[in-house]
Amino acid sequence: MALLLKKRSVLPGFGLTLGFTLLYLSLIVLIPLAGTFLKTASLSWTQFWETITAPRALASYRLSFGASFIAALLNSIFGLVVAWVLVRYQFPGKRLIDAMVDLPFALPTAVAGIAFTAVYSSQGWIGKLLEPLGLQVAFTPLGITLVLTFIGLPFVVRTVQPVLEDIEPELEEAAATLGAPRWRTFRRVIFPTIWPALVTGFAMAFARAVGEYGSVIFIAGNMPMRTEITPLLIITKLEQYDYAGATALAVVMLVVSFALLLLINLLQEWSSRFHKVN
Amino acid sequence: MKIEIQNLTKKFGAFAALKSISLDVASGELLALLGPSGCGKTTLLRILAGLEFADSGAIRFDGDDATSQSVRARKVGFVFQHYALFRHMTVFENIAFGLRVRPRKLRPSRQAIHDKVQELLNLVKLEEMAARYPTQLSGGQRQRVALARALAVEPRVLLLDEPFGALDAKVRQELRRWLRRLHDEIHITSVFVTHDQEEALEVADRVVVMNAGRIEQIGTSDAVYNQPATPFVYHFLGQVNLFHGRVEGDKLNVGGMLIDKPDGVQDEAETATIYVRPHMLEIDPRPNQHQHFRATIKHINAAGPQVKVELITAWGAPIQVDLSQERFRVLALKKETEVFVSPREIRVFAE
Repeated sequence: MALLLKKRSVLPGFGLTLGFTLLYLSLIVLIPLAGTFLKTASLSWTQFWETITAPRALASYRLSFGASFIAALLNSIFGLVVAWVLVRYQFPGKRLIDAMVDLPFALPTAVAGIAFTAVYSSQGWIGKLLEPLGLQVAFTPLGITLVLTFIGLPFVVRTVQPVLEDIEPELEEAAATLGAPRWRTFRRVIFPTIWPALVTGFAMAFARAVGEYGSVIFIAGNMPMRTEITPLLIITKLEQYDYAGATALAVVMLVVSFALLLLINLLQEWSSRFHKVN
Repeated sequence: MKIEIQNLTKKFGAFAALKSISLDVASGELLALLGPSGCGKTTLLRILAGLEFADSGAIRFDGDDATSQSVRARKVGFVFQHYALFRHMTVFENIAFGLRVRPRKLRPSRQAIHDKVQELLNLVKLEEMAARYPTQLSGGQRQRVALARALAVEPRVLLLDEPFGALDAKVRQELRRWLRRLHDEIHITSVFVTHDQEEALEVADRVVVMNAGRIEQIGTSDAVYNQPATPFVYHFLGQVNLFHGRVEGDKLNVGGMLIDKPDGVQDEAETATIYVRPHMLEIDPRPNQHQHFRATIKHINAAGPQVKVELITAWGAPIQVDLSQERFRVLALKKETEVFVSPREIRVFAE
């Protein structure tokens, strides 16, 4: 092992950068997260189990993960369309639209939440039009999904865009000379190429949505069992000085998110297996 | 399949890529489009494929008008310089692609596709590689996969755009011989684009030399090399020495050497430019009975089948002479000595 580490390399600074990475990850990620687990450990197993399986908690998981999943899925579809339009076509105002994609990154999420609530509530511009159709957006899971879609939009666009730009036109030309119609060329040549990037974008949008708090609380209405997301439930517990209970829920979110992201990573690795050289 | 091209013109903005090109490709022929970059050869190939469309002119495949036919309807096989293989598909899937994307009614059965792909893998000698991905292959292997993929749909014509351009010299040479043999086996009408004169001369039945959107000459390798039709062809295919001469009556004066006025010099012309290939110049240590001029040896490169001698003429122009190794040893040439140079075969082009 010592021999291996001493192997000469033209790329300097391995020891230093790895050391820094570990220190940085420890301070920023590992130690705070470990704290969560430590605090949770002050509960007994039964207490822990009762806290995390309370009906109100279960309903909040369903909402948090469900809405995030749907939002990430919507983003994958529409983000792909936006990236496609931005890469493939030339039109006036293209740069403006390109810049607008990043707005959800920059905008304070609370502002987004308030804006969405104002527009989609039953008196709002759009909510007013949807109300007669029996469609209520604000203060329902639908509204939550909507804001989560908003905040996750840039992830898919920004991961798919560069991959789409790198696709050589020759690939499509080759498919055309082989007699493939446009749609088949997209499905069998272009889509498999951007699929790994799309999965990454999905994972990032999903992770972002699961952790989102600021924008959701305005549009959710926060009714227990109906429109209460897990992060809000955690805050509620904190406000009641139930620190252990709050961290117990946080641990559940952590473990589930981590497992899902790991799964997505594996899926992505499998789907880009053709990049590897033996 | 026979291809007729008539008065094809193509502009990209203000740039005229093709200026009224007319050309016939015989059925079963292997034709090379040769020229420097920007001469329009690739544009012509892409128009043949239906990947670009001409501004005016006509293309006929076996007499049928194909000018505005879509790329899918033309049934051409196209091989790209950078292979354009589908990276997420194995070699097998790449080759099968053209068959699998056919409309359901025309699609061969699974077994038929499998047999066809196996047959093509045999043809391109890649039986062992069927399950590999393109990134796991060498450049030469990738280009063979690309060729097999193009042949899978049984195209009426095979078009190759600088097929060996991205490969290193040795592989390139192997692969072009292999292509020649393959063509002798399957006799599909083929057009390939190259800027490498050696490649065109070695592989093609006929060579089309192009320059600045026009055809300079069409002919066999032998014809374009030994009887160049224009000064451009002379320059582009191999080395050439230029001499500027003054017309004096029925003689031409080149640095004191008087030669009979060759055919091709216009009657009223005062000057003429003579083209001589390096191997068509003879070196003698002493004046001989032939017409000659004086020159001084500046550099000798004896590595290779021919000895390349660089000289400076008495009037200060650099020239190159190629000698056989035997002749070089007989002459025992040394640097900085004065010798007498006489041309064996010259060409003159009207200016």
